[in-house]
Amino acid sequence: MSEFLQLLFNGTALGARYALVALGFVIIYRATGVINFAQGGLLALGAYLAYALNDTAALPFALAVVGAVLLSGVIGAATERVVLRRMVGQPVFAVVMVTIGMLFILEQTITSIWGFEALNLGDPWGVQTVRAGDVVLATRDLWTIGLAALVLAAFFAFFRFSKLGVAMRATAFDQEAALAQGISARRVFAVSWGISGGLACLAGVTLAAGPAALSPGIGAIALIAFPAMIVGGLDSPGGAVLGGLIIGITQAMTTGYQDDFFPWAGSNFAAVMPYVVMVLILLVRPYGLFGTKEVRRI
Amino acid sequence: MRFHRGLAAAGAAALLALAGCGGADEEDSGGTSTGGAAAEGAAELKPVPGFDGKTIKVGALSPLSGPVAVIGTPLTNGNKVFYDALNAKGGIAGKYKVELVQEDTQYKPDVTVQRYNRIKNDVVAFTQVLGTASVLAVVPQLKRDKMIAAPASLDAFWVREPNLLPVGGPYQGQAINGIDYFLKNGGEGKNVCGLFQDDAYGEAGEAGVEFAAEKLGFEPAATQKYKAGDKDVTGQIQALSKAKCDAVFYTGLPSDAGTVFGTAAKLGFAPRWIAQSPVWIDELGASPLAEYLAKTTWVVAEGTEWGDDSVPGMKQMVADAKQFDPKQDPDYYFSFGYVQGIAMQAVLEKAVENGDLSREGILEASEQLGEVDYQGLFGNYSYGAADSRKPPTTSTIFEVDPDKPYGLGALEKNYESDTVKEFEYTAR
Repeated sequence: MSEFLQLLFNGTALGARYALVALGFVIIYRATGVINFAQGGLLALGAYLAYALNDTAALPFALAVVGAVLLSGVIGAATERVVLRRMVGQPVFAVVMVTIGMLFILEQTITSIWGFEALNLGDPWGVQTVRAGDVVLATRDLWTIGLAALVLAAFFAFFRFSKLGVAMRATAFDQEAALAQGISARRVFAVSWGISGGLACLAGVTLAAGPAALSPGIGAIALIAFPAMIVGGLDSPGGAVLGGLIIGITQAMTTGYQDDFFPWAGSNFAAVMPYVVMVLILLVRPYGLFGTKEVRRI
Repeated sequence: MRFHRGLAAAGAAALLALAGCGGADEEDSGGTSTGGAAAEGAAELKPVPGFDGKTIKVGALSPLSGPVAVIGTPLTNGNKVFYDALNAKGGIAGKYKVELVQEDTQYKPDVTVQRYNRIKNDVVAFTQVLGTASVLAVVPQLKRDKMIAAPASLDAFWVREPNLLPVGGPYQGQAINGIDYFLKNGGEGKNVCGLFQDDAYGEAGEAGVEFAAEKLGFEPAATQKYKAGDKDVTGQIQALSKAKCDAVFYTGLPSDAGTVFGTAAKLGFAPRWIAQSPVWIDELGASPLAEYLAKTTWVVAEGTEWGDDSVPGMKQMVADAKQFDPKQDPDYYFSFGYVQGIAMQAVLEKAVENGDLSREGILEASEQLGEVDYQGLFGNYSYGAADSRKPPTTSTIFEVDPDKPYGLGALEKNYESDTVKEFEYTAR
């Protein structure tokens, strides 16, 4: 039982990270109909910014993270303003290609500034743990789960109660009708990119915390968060979180129990599992668990 | 910062290569007159592709960008410092300078082949090709071109490959020596397990563990694998913990080592970790894990700790690094690149002695080498025809010591088990 609980906890922590990344994808997709392939790059950039503010600018860790989240948000919004706004009216495919290009630019920028060495983020959590019976809870994981829960709660409040949040929902639902109501689609786009940048930074920090864990490769997690987003439904923030948790827990359980239940699947089957889950769910619900049926695919 | 330097160096090397191409023709035309004027006469060597009569060019195919540049950059730097130091002493046979032609492979086999073809006619041999997959990709071409190359990879297949000039004991040997050392030093009868990256490199480590198990008469209590880049290895670590592993032999890359050790530390799993040499990276010694690693981890590699003046090769290398690249930090991969330089120097000296720097001449020289002494930096390698080569059978067991340069202190230098001598190296 304790083994199961341990795996469940670790899977949840991993899932919370996926959820933060998937949420970033979903925010932009809802507002603009574009899947932002640069999300992984923004994530890595955010983590490095937190490192730079903490290590180079010598800010306390918490302040460095807040600063990095804000900076990443600004970078996200600026990207929208400078690059993507010029693409309005172009085919979605062209815009998606631009985000892929941006991913490469971000990767090169990061490595030219900080190099390829694995760095220590400088988080205060280190390898501290808390024990709950036989289950070991890493402080870092508890923070990750807590932060993800907080962000999620903030989102629901934002979309439901704030004027801007409602405007974003309206724009997502019908851009022209929203425009007719005096909602600025430009502002909505910029805010979406800003929020998405901030989220990416937060996801990056939770991933890069721990011993020698900050390396330019951390952006690759975006590829695994992808199934999480699809499972949840491309345009559903709640779905993104649920999808992230499903994928994270499935992966953890697969590594833990594969040897006992299906060793014939070959070693390291957990790497394939997110995609298996994705295909299975899509067979039953082609638009994901909470996706809107009108969603167009690329 | 290294990236800038690497790029700049690659750019400069490409320019030099271009300039070299243009220059070679001019010198060729004037070569007869200078050749005739040379009093040594008989010792004068015929220019061949990659050698204009004065300068010998050797190639380095290494990832200078991308995630593996963290290995490629210091390794290539090791090549470079070695040749700079050699040139300062006059060069090969005291008179032929060696020039390094670098190309960035991005750790991609297809790019490696493309870059190989780009510079193969500008160099006499390759002093470095980094990565198991990249080496495999160029071997057929090496054979066709009769070219030799020194692999920056410790796979066991290289030993029997005539066109390759390997250095160091293969991964399998590290695993065998590491486990043997554990069993003979308080580990008898204890549970030995394995944790491997899920690819060809991981398989090499696994093969070593399996061989050790068979010869030393134990059954691995558990074997686990993960995919490079995985951010959660809780399942694997739990399985090892459940199997009551007292020692775990671990084959992986530095980019995952933090995740693996971090997960083990937080789950309170503290076996004797016996790690393959590429696992280690100095940042681990500066991380919050330092204390855990100092208690639990051995790294199996070669030679001695950085800055150990009692070992002549190390003393020389540190002095050369200080003189020719003062910014170079202590680094295992730098040593590897430097050692590759020693191997190539031995081959080139022999080829010059034979009076033939052509590809065929160099290939022939590599078969006449006999034992090359690495001055304690790496174990001595006995070369010769590929089927009679004997790689070093010694490994040094390092313990994690954050106070030492590079975070590693030598626990047992040049340990050689009886088992490792029985390991047969076969061609791929």
